[in-house]
Amino acid sequence: MNDRLTSPSSGPVALVTGASRGLGRVIAEHLSDRGYSMILTARGAEDLAQTVEELARRTSKVVGLPGDVTDPTHRDRLADAVHHQGRLDVLVNNASELGPSPLRPLRELSLEDFRRILEVNLLAPVALVQAMAPELVRVCGRIVNISSDAAVQGYPHWGGYGASKAALDLVSRTLASELGPEGVAVVSVDPGDLRTTMHQAAFPGEDISDRPPPAVTLPFWAWLFSQPNERIQGRRYRAQEATWEVNL
Amino acid sequence: MSGVTPVVFEEFRDLRGVVARAPPEDRGIPRDRVRLLVSDRTQDHHRVFCDLPRLLRPGDLLVVNISATVPGRFPAQGSPGSFLLHRSTAFAPDLWLAEPRWSASRPGPVPLAAGEALSVAGVPARYLGAHPTIPRLGWVRFDEPPDGRLAAQGEPIRYGYVDRSWPLDRYQTIFSRIPGSSEMPSAARPFTPAMREELRRRGVRIAEIVLHTAVSSLELADGSDGSVPLVPEPFEVPSATVAAIEETRARGGRVVAVGTTVVRALESAGAAGNLRATAGFTRLYVQPGRPVRFLDGLLTGFHEASSTHLALLGAVIPKDRLLRAYRTAVRAGYLWHEFGDSHLLWSPRDSPAMNYGS
Repeated sequence: MNDRLTSPSSGPVALVTGASRGLGRVIAEHLSDRGYSMILTARGAEDLAQTVEELARRTSKVVGLPGDVTDPTHRDRLADAVHHQGRLDVLVNNASELGPSPLRPLRELSLEDFRRILEVNLLAPVALVQAMAPELVRVCGRIVNISSDAAVQGYPHWGGYGASKAALDLVSRTLASELGPEGVAVVSVDPGDLRTTMHQAAFPGEDISDRPPPAVTLPFWAWLFSQPNERIQGRRYRAQEATWEVNL
Repeated sequence: MSGVTPVVFEEFRDLRGVVARAPPEDRGIPRDRVRLLVSDRTQDHHRVFCDLPRLLRPGDLLVVNISATVPGRFPAQGSPGSFLLHRSTAFAPDLWLAEPRWSASRPGPVPLAAGEALSVAGVPARYLGAHPTIPRLGWVRFDEPPDGRLAAQGEPIRYGYVDRSWPLDRYQTIFSRIPGSSEMPSAARPFTPAMREELRRRGVRIAEIVLHTAVSSLELADGSDGSVPLVPEPFEVPSATVAAIEETRARGGRVVAVGTTVVRALESAGAAGNLRATAGFTRLYVQPGRPVRFLDGLLTGFHEASSTHLALLGAVIPKDRLLRAYRTAVRAGYLWHEFGDSHLLWSPRDSPAMNYGS
């Protein structure tokens, strides 16, 4: 496995968090297939190494940096990898914290757990944008923040996670206003229910086999990463919805 | 939503229409002289397409799809040897969703490996893997955007019932202006410039939408789980068209969609309840139980029992009424498919299939 890209990139570069499995991995594979140099991160070093190894069979331009996005030292490492590339065309904030499983009502969610949810889902994406804004601006890059229908619905037991994603949606819209004039597009994407480890943790012991695998969102990513920045700027998408609209 | 459970029109399965195997003008019939079956609330009327202007009233509006057909059928090479690649949708200049096939009459699967190198009409590309819910389609990425290099090498997509290649102009309508459809939006095919002029003289307006069609692959309509696979297609409903539709209805005129693509575009643009200018990709599936809201009539062709088009027609007029019209068409020898005859369906205003809102 490469742990360092050998030279600055002349092609596009993408950073995907939570990239070792599930949705993050689908996005990483797609961008890799489209010729992006990939910087992948996730907490589970083993799973990440395996994902990097499999991607490396199809592209030489992939590096995996295991760690926690809430750890400033780890974020510095990610920022270093981006600085080394000299550009960041796509930042996908996908790594998410669900909270304790099984999910519990807000009145029983410890503030410590809630704080951790906000650290991962809200503050870490903002911190990564802060650290990488120059590289995003340089190439008129784009930021994709992964959201959830829990951000708008008020489902019982999803209050901590949902609040973090609702706040992230607002962060997306604010960043779209702030970075838009500098050419950077920011979108928020609700991938819909998927058969992932995280979704299983939300429904422990339940059969979630009726949910589609994360690859079902692939046509959406193929579409999204084909759109010019101004067409998608500031929008919130549902990847499994029948229609994906652009700005006119 | 990766697919939706289809409304299957079982009663239509035994109906076997005669298939048009060649364009009418190559069968000795001018484009606008194909037959036109007009189905109103209770009756079917036998007409000829060029009668259409006289079936419309001043103040009526036709909505047409201005997408032009592109050559979508290419010879390709890969590890299984020679095969055909049917372009379905260009997501980006260098990224296609496409259908590998053996021939016009013989679909895949063509056993391609994810990541393998392809040559598409001599242009180097890579097969990235199958579509997640429609395995007959797969992603193809060109090493460089092929642009014009490929167009000259391709032919229009055709299926087994069309036994020879026809020039691209047979797959265009007088409204075709923006290249992007893999299969001809065929409902407007019989229109001629003279008819357009006659419509204008009579005070019938024409508004435009764009919807670039994907492959339909008639013989493989159903998803593996029995659901209808939804292929996303690029579309745009401009603000001028929204305004024309609103004006028409406000003045008591009728809105006629020319083709099922127009219905899908309008329903997609009105997904939030009211019609508004919209662009993007849609894979909206229109079928009975999901009433169409923005039209009074639909001009279309004759469709296979298994096709999603037929279900869409069932959202415009009640299924029993449609079945009677199809029986009439079969008995009277109307021709099916893109080179065939035309069908004008009037949706009765008081039909439960219609919901006019305010």
